[in-house]
Amino acid sequence: MVTVLLLVLGFCAGLLGALTGIGGGVLLTPILSLYFGIPIREAIGTSLVAVITTSAASSSVHLQRHTTDIRLGMTLELATSLGAAVMAYLVGYFNRSVLEGLFAAFLLYSSIMILSKGGKVKSEEDAPPPQSNGEIVIPPYEPQRYPLGLGASLIAGALSGLLGIGGGPIKVPVMFIFMNVPLMVATATSNFMIGVTAAASAMVYYRRGDIQVDVAAPLAVGVFIGSLLGARLAPRIHTKIVVYLLVGVMLYLAGHLTFHLLRGVL
Amino acid sequence: MSELREPAFDRAVALVLRVGAFGCFFIMLTGLIVGIFFKGRIPLDIERAGVLLMLATPVVRVIVACFLFFREKDNKYGWISLGVLVILLLGSVFGIGEH
Repeated sequence: MVTVLLLVLGFCAGLLGALTGIGGGVLLTPILSLYFGIPIREAIGTSLVAVITTSAASSSVHLQRHTTDIRLGMTLELATSLGAAVMAYLVGYFNRSVLEGLFAAFLLYSSIMILSKGGKVKSEEDAPPPQSNGEIVIPPYEPQRYPLGLGASLIAGALSGLLGIGGGPIKVPVMFIFMNVPLMVATATSNFMIGVTAAASAMVYYRRGDIQVDVAAPLAVGVFIGSLLGARLAPRIHTKIVVYLLVGVMLYLAGHLTFHLLRGVL
Repeated sequence: MSELREPAFDRAVALVLRVGAFGCFFIMLTGLIVGIFFKGRIPLDIERAGVLLMLATPVVRVIVACFLFFREKDNKYGWISLGVLVILLLGSVFGIGEH
């Protein structure tokens, strides 16, 4: 029974992730921890597996459209994977309350960021229209300010190792605004990097015994189906409503985590 | 400018990711189906194999990119890929903290 619930949960997270561009990992960790009774550290480790699945499936699509900058991605991965592995190691020394508090703060911050942008999260909406032969034209560019990009990637990687998320909301704006990378390329490259980043921390979690395979398997299967379906539906669905729905869920989870945390402390 | 248009390179890396993702999907699905009929170690071991393949997929992706960069004589990015690989492997060695 629990397996079926996990499949459905993964499916919903994958679907929402593909429709909105906001990764499903943000939802999986708090839901696993609050409603499935999984300790938060194991919830983080387990949802990392789902994050890798999503990244692998979606970035293979981006790669075929040739919108991923593999060189830029690989360079920044030096920083993201270092940040992720070191932070994943340190998480072994954090207690439950610290992780729950950090996660609640992160959910609140992400919700506010999305609302302040008026629910507009998909970069595809800003993409240049494809040519008549269906190819997407990307203007020539040269990535700039590598030190800044590497610094931001280190932080994004550390957050990924800490919370079991992808870190796209940090990497995409940094590449787009500071490194002079077109938004479409920044999105695809960020997605590409998530797999390696999440793997760097997931291996640390796995070695520590913080990945529950009987939870990760149904979750990843659900996420896989959900994100494939979402990618097909995305062009036909009015995403703003979905984004607001997602923000609602995120705020609710932030509230519940805070409540759970305070009850434990008091 | 950054060379984005390298169809063969992109295709090779995309293939690794797709094989990994679909492979894991089917292995994990098999584990779940077996779990309906049998309890205990067998389904769990199949699921574990799926999880491990998923963790290995990004590592294989880095290895393939590293190999392709060196073959293209693009040594700078070959070394960068090797660096990422070292970090990934170190993470899996030192991954034992408090439990």
